[in-house]
Amino acid sequence: MFGWTVKELFSAPQQLFASVSAVAGAFALVLFFDGVFAGESEQIVALIDRTDADVWVMQDGVGNMHMTTSFLADWKIDAVAGVEGVKKVTPILYLNAVIEAGGRNWFSFVVGLEPGDSRAGPWAMAAGAPLPGRGEAIVPDVFASDAGLAIGDPVRIAGRDFAVAGFSADTFSMANSITFVTLDDLADTISSVGTVSYLLVDAEPGVDAAALAARIMDEVEKVNALTREEFSARDYSIAVQMGLDIIWMMTLIGGALAVLLTGFIVYSHVTERERELAVMKALGVRDRAIYASLMVQALVIGLLAFALAVAVVSLAVPTTHALVPKISLAVTADSLWRTGVTAVLVSLVAAVVPVRRVLSVDPVSAFHQ
Amino acid sequence: MPEPILQAENVVKVFGQGRAAVRAVDGVSIEVQPSEMVTITGPSGSGKTTLVSILGALLRPDDGRVVIDGTDISTLREGALSMLRARSIGFVFQSFNLLESLTVRENVLFPAHLAPGGMNAARGRADELLETLGLSHRASALPRTLSGGEKQRVAIARALINRPRLIIADEPTGNLDSKSGQNVLMVLHDVARDEGRAVLIVTHDRRVEDVADRILWLEDGHLRDRKQDEHEWVRDPVCNMALDGWTSEIFVDRDGIRYHFCSQRCRERFEASPETYVEASRSRRPARDGADR
Repeated sequence: MFGWTVKELFSAPQQLFASVSAVAGAFALVLFFDGVFAGESEQIVALIDRTDADVWVMQDGVGNMHMTTSFLADWKIDAVAGVEGVKKVTPILYLNAVIEAGGRNWFSFVVGLEPGDSRAGPWAMAAGAPLPGRGEAIVPDVFASDAGLAIGDPVRIAGRDFAVAGFSADTFSMANSITFVTLDDLADTISSVGTVSYLLVDAEPGVDAAALAARIMDEVEKVNALTREEFSARDYSIAVQMGLDIIWMMTLIGGALAVLLTGFIVYSHVTERERELAVMKALGVRDRAIYASLMVQALVIGLLAFALAVAVVSLAVPTTHALVPKISLAVTADSLWRTGVTAVLVSLVAAVVPVRRVLSVDPVSAFHQ
Repeated sequence: MPEPILQAENVVKVFGQGRAAVRAVDGVSIEVQPSEMVTITGPSGSGKTTLVSILGALLRPDDGRVVIDGTDISTLREGALSMLRARSIGFVFQSFNLLESLTVRENVLFPAHLAPGGMNAARGRADELLETLGLSHRASALPRTLSGGEKQRVAIARALINRPRLIIADEPTGNLDSKSGQNVLMVLHDVARDEGRAVLIVTHDRRVEDVADRILWLEDGHLRDRKQDEHEWVRDPVCNMALDGWTSEIFVDRDGIRYHFCSQRCRERFEASPETYVEASRSRRPARDGADR
């Protein structure tokens, strides 16, 4: 029976390819939108991940960067630097703001940097100066391209004008971007002189980051200290949670579409092969063996469609990013796992669609001409 | 007397209810012994397919009892019926009904998965059957590349793979040319004679009567025994259609002569003006072998 199932499925390769492609389209949509969301979420934690500090120190009670404000008195910079195992402390001031340029507005993390210190600065440059000077800003290259900005053009950040000194790379997504200015300029702009937002702590070689974070919290009052991994995971989790409903809705819609398509394909297989099914029943094949056969067919279609969708999305991700740089795409293992499980569930549900039709196949009809 | 392989007693099957009820099979009893080849024939709509479906354990009778290879099928559940069909009955259909995506050898082996017994043994048997039926050279061919005769021989091999004691063939020569049909009949005849199986053939093909051990006539749900070569060729005096007076059930006796009719309509027309048709029938040619009575 299994041999018949597989042979039957592959006996019309063009029809099989069309069926698999249709279902793959649904899975590819799920993977693609999932990839967009994952890409955007990864961009939200880009500053944390790319600067790669061992420990992040922030205001007590604060545990995130995204959609959060943190203020630390600047004397705590020295206090943290004095903790055993700390090699270097880099303060940043940080603000969620809208930047305006070339008639365009864009939401951005604005990061205030110590003059001349590139530790928390742009990790990749497309053009211009690698660090901002007073009255200058380094904006994402994608935003500059979108807004038609050139070096020296003005940008407005939190109501104050800055001159563009450089274009940073890998700092832009549709939901978020990162703009760099000097710490003093940002402090003036938001009237927060004498405070910083976060401290990036580099540990001495061989010092465990988690232990160092714990020691900082013990020795410096009213601060929270997290390892980079934990800090990044928290922000990523918040970003994902914000879009979780959307992800599930997309998965459900894509899954429902795939169920309908696979169900229709398997149902069509049954109606086209009713006579053969009648003959099989007459020869002694039981209904449950026919269901199992349909389930195998649906599973093969679902898994082939999933594989095709992965292949298509693997090609689409770099192509899309090259054509539309503002879209950040990332196909994660979690997304692949979820869509793969969806493919299996879709196949199992779809195989139920023609059950009534199979039951109604009368073996006596094998005698009819 | 050996135990019959197929035994049916007072089998009744009714379709519909009330005034619309049709007794497709009405009190049929039949026994088929090992090595016996029995033919059921009869006009279209006489209930042949219904009867053969019941005798093949595909349809449950409303009344009566059917015993196949010692098993009373009336008490069996669907799963057990399927198993019985796979193990004890081989089917040969008019339209061959091969599985188009499988090769000849795979088609022959298909029922082997459904019955107990090793597949290795079945493979050997499949090769033997293909050899016997002259199909070895087509073992890897797909059904669409076969002639009608070849397809039917594959179907016979498939029917025999599980060594069933009962073979049921529905119009096995219906879609074949004369030579292929003759060949298929001889194969079925040999299956009964040489292998001791019971072969039940439902057919309109009169050639089958030449090789069958018994011929049964089914009409309006009733079964009657009929001996070979027992024909009484007559002509309907109204429409001149050739009829077998032995099996004809519509007739009128007049002046010591029995007149047979193809239908009630012809009989009514005859009764309205018998002299006209009696006179006309005397001047017509005989129906067959000069036997116009």
